[in-house]
Amino acid sequence: MNFDFTGNDATVAMSGDFTFTDHAAFLELMNRLFATASVPIVIDLAKVEFIDSAGLGMLLIARDEASKASRQLTLRGPQGQVKRMFAVTRFETLFAIES
Amino acid sequence: MFGLGQKRRERPAEPLAPAGAAAERAADAAPAQDHQRLLQRWMALADMQQRVIATLAAEIARTSDFVETEADSLSLRFQRLADSAQKQTSRVDSLTDLAMGIEVEGESVRIEAVAKLFEGTLSEVVAKILLLSKDSMSMVYALDTLGASVQNVGQCNTAIDVINSTLNMLALNARIEGERAGAAGAAFRVVANEVYELSKTVKTLAATMKTEIKAITDGIMTSHDTLKRVATVDLSDNIMVKERLEVLLKALVVRNSGLEVVVADAVRESEAISADVTGMVTGIQFQDRTKQRLEHVVDTLQVIGKALEEIRSSTTREVPELAAATETDLGWIKDLLSRYTMSDMRERFVAQILEGKPVDWGDASAGEGTPSSSGSMELF
Repeated sequence: MNFDFTGNDATVAMSGDFTFTDHAAFLELMNRLFATASVPIVIDLAKVEFIDSAGLGMLLIARDEASKASRQLTLRGPQGQVKRMFAVTRFETLFAIES
Repeated sequence: MFGLGQKRRERPAEPLAPAGAAAERAADAAPAQDHQRLLQRWMALADMQQRVIATLAAEIARTSDFVETEADSLSLRFQRLADSAQKQTSRVDSLTDLAMGIEVEGESVRIEAVAKLFEGTLSEVVAKILLLSKDSMSMVYALDTLGASVQNVGQCNTAIDVINSTLNMLALNARIEGERAGAAGAAFRVVANEVYELSKTVKTLAATMKTEIKAITDGIMTSHDTLKRVATVDLSDNIMVKERLEVLLKALVVRNSGLEVVVADAVRESEAISADVTGMVTGIQFQDRTKQRLEHVVDTLQVIGKALEEIRSSTTREVPELAAATETDLGWIKDLLSRYTMSDMRERFVAQILEGKPVDWGDASAGEGTPSSSGSMELF
């Protein structure tokens, strides 16, 4: 998984596969996102091609952290397998998801 | 009509010059003879009419019996058909229950409810998978943090080793200086010995700590590896099974709805058939009325026949010469019988009317409705 920060580090665009092996990188990514000032956090998933259950679990941890920090977390542009996984797990009831 | 006029004889021509009483009597007798012949023909016609009436009455009675028998048989068949239609309606009705749901422990559960239960259960499973994934990753992060802390403790242990080494060197130097000072260095030697003992104790403690930290680190690593194996079990396929099952369940519900419509149509059609057949059973009872009417007709014909017989008998009694045999006018009878298309009926009429034989009805139903092979049986 690769990622690029934009918008004062409050938005990150991920790409590639998002799986268990990315947990260390995702922790770093989260720390950087939550270190920003109190603006909405956006994780852009438009270029993520595959997500496994560990990836979903990491997003849920990010959600918990956002909730603790009273920050809004938005997932943007899921496509393909990621979009289907979100639909099956009804992620729209847990996250704000932008098309 | 009836050929009565056809047999009328031409009156003899008037003589050109009638002469005397004989001629006058002869002239008076000629009309009387014509009248007598005419009356004889009426008598013959009455006799024939009697036979025709008797034959017709018998034919009607026989036909009535035949209709009654056939109608009863038909009614019985329709009744069986009605019963079958009723049973079929019940079966189709029970098919509705089967189409609408399945029986579970004696309770009927609708397919929609089954699908909803499946969907609910799958949603719960998926939710638990998500929770498991999240908790696994939380534990991975917690173990990562713990590992880092233990690593820090290990680094502290290294620092303790360095301090202990310095302390050991300090004790050794104090001992050397104490020896060098002689008696005055006794106190130094005591302190040096204490510091040395302290250094040994710290060294032992540090070694124990190192051993324990290594055990903890090994435990964390083992736990991390174990958790990694748990967390890396990709459950995304299992999650996607829900998607597939949802599609299948929707298809099942749609199919079930279609089946319900078809079965409902079948029930309606079956009920309509049942009602129609029941109506037919009722309608087939017409033979009761038909039989009554035919009995009236037969009764009427018999009364007419008796009236004819009575007038013929009284005429014969009063005027015996009118009962003299005369040639029967068969023309109209032949015309009538030639119109019959049913050979058995024609044969009975020939036997009874023309030949005056008693008719053997035989099997009541034999030959009924069987048209004759016209031309193959020439009776006249």
